[in-house]
Amino acid sequence: MATKPLIQARQVIKNYDDFRAVDGVDFTVQPGECFGFLGPNGAGKSTLMKMIYCCSPRGGGELSIFGQDPDKSPAQIKNRMGVVAQTDNLDEDVNVTQNLQIYGGYFGIPRKTLNEKIQELLAFMALEAKATAGIRELSGGMKRRLVIARALLNDPDLIILDEPTTGLDPQVRHLIWAKMRELKAKGVTILLTTHYMEEAHELCDRLLVMDKGKVLAMGKPDELVKNNLPAYVLELPGIKKEEVPLTGTLQVELHGDKLFVFAAAPSELEKVALQFKGQLRIRTTGLEDLFLKLTGRDLHESE
Amino acid sequence: MNPNNPRPVPGFFRLVGAVWYRHYRVYQNHFTTNSFPTVIEPLILMLSFGWGLAQVVGNSMGGLDYLSFIAPAQAMMAAVYTSAFDESYGTYFRMMVDHNYDAMLSTPVSVSEVFWGELLYTGTKGAFFSAVVVAVLSCFGIIHSFWAVLVPVVGFFTAIAFGSLGLFAARLVKNINQFNFFISGIISPLILFSGTFFSLERMPAGPALVAKVLPLYYFIDVSRMLTTGHFTDDLYIAIPYMVTVPLVMGFFAVRNMKAKLVQ
Ligand SMILES: Nc1ncnc2c1ncn2[C@@H]1O[C@H](COP(=O)(O)OP(=O)(O)O)[C@@H](O)[C@H]1O
Ligand SMILES: [Mg+2]
Repeated sequence: MATKPLIQARQVIKNYDDFRAVDGVDFTVQPGECFGFLGPNGAGKSTLMKMIYCCSPRGGGELSIFGQDPDKSPAQIKNRMGVVAQTDNLDEDVNVTQNLQIYGGYFGIPRKTLNEKIQELLAFMALEAKATAGIRELSGGMKRRLVIARALLNDPDLIILDEPTTGLDPQVRHLIWAKMRELKAKGVTILLTTHYMEEAHELCDRLLVMDKGKVLAMGKPDELVKNNLPAYVLELPGIKKEEVPLTGTLQVELHGDKLFVFAAAPSELEKVALQFKGQLRIRTTGLEDLFLKLTGRDLHESE
Repeated sequence: MNPNNPRPVPGFFRLVGAVWYRHYRVYQNHFTTNSFPTVIEPLILMLSFGWGLAQVVGNSMGGLDYLSFIAPAQAMMAAVYTSAFDESYGTYFRMMVDHNYDAMLSTPVSVSEVFWGELLYTGTKGAFFSAVVVAVLSCFGIIHSFWAVLVPVVGFFTAIAFGSLGLFAARLVKNINQFNFFISGIISPLILFSGTFFSLERMPAGPALVAKVLPLYYFIDVSRMLTTGHFTDDLYIAIPYMVTVPLVMGFFAVRNMKAKLVQ
């Protein structure tokens, strides 16, 4: 691509005392792209996001956002950015509209413009009916939508969402996805972390899978799956690895108590399925399989 | 993409103002709810001391009747308590529980703007509450000079000094119980040994000198000049002290919070 990248990260590092939370991460994000980060809890996603939204100084490497260095021009960068942090951080003692008014002040948005923008965003996030509601009256999904609305007050060129839909019901999740697509259509660049493979698949042009602070894989969702896994998989609950003879293109992975048998053709898996008299649960491989393969350990030691 | 974002980054004072406004909006109701104890406490003290201690003490505190002696100190105590609590417990909750600073810091606001905004706000509250106390006490005829209208200015600086101490406490505590050390170990002694309830002339010279250097003595000293209309040469030390010390304390408190929040 000829355009200048909006975010450029080279060998980015973050240390907390002796612990390295982000360990030499490289990636670039192009303007208008929706770029997703996948990884188990503790992988370093939030830490990386915080470095990008200039709330955590990096421990090494190079990082530029809008062509600027977060260490040198944090205010300039944050002025053009919207942030939805992993933990909701609304002002609980004032109502929905006042939350937005207060936050708009941090961008120096003039009163009149701000109030118009607030009306527009409350409508955009389907919160008009809650304009004067207190924060404690809101459901988890409404709070999240309000935090997203708040992140859009300054018409950001880049919006960073750290697990925007974790713990929300499917309706809210689909609403948020629809809004993200609208923003993307307007040319807003989106950075997203998520634990939902469906979300990653629906929204993201490219994904980065990370664990223990390191990049494991990066690319377009479908290509990532295609390049790393055979096309089909059979799930066998309660079967041990040794029980499946590895013939042909067969590969096995154990996650929890479930054995995943992969193969390039469904016919190979049918034979295995017959051997165990299990129900035929053969399907095409997806992001979740890839995620488990790349980050899977039988017991995640950081949990 | 909107490549030429037309909105410039707001300047330092604008952002400090935005943070001040945030606290004003969010804690607006505190002005009214906290006004109640601010009014009641000096009234109770007046009654208690007026019936008891004041009659024993007579005019032995710098030639003033005892209630007139402690009146200005009470105005400062209101400023001390509101700021010390706001910036210790309040900051701790904003930081660890409500994550309000995370929200502010993901906008163009920086750590210095966050905490100068807070100190400015706590100063405002200090001014307001010391004004309330002066207004209440003036009904008892123990405010003797029209200069007392300037007591809130002193309350403003007092609150910035004690708000800064509160910020140091918020940075240092490992859990909420440790604030007891701050209140009992630092705030209470400062209140008791700063010419609040007795004149420092009654203390041995060494401790008295220490008490004078510590924040609060000069704030009370100036307030007392304002409420009595009896000015001394102390004014030439007290005024520069009153303005400089809170700003220096604020400077270090803000720098200290930077180390805590930027990790
Ligand atoms: N402020 C901090 N101090 C020390 N360790 C931290 C801090 N923040 C995060 N960590 C550690 O860094 C690692 C990565 O955390 P995080 O970035 O939150 O992961 P993720 O968002 O992918 O779940 C975790 O092991 C976490 O415990
Ligand atoms: Mg996280």
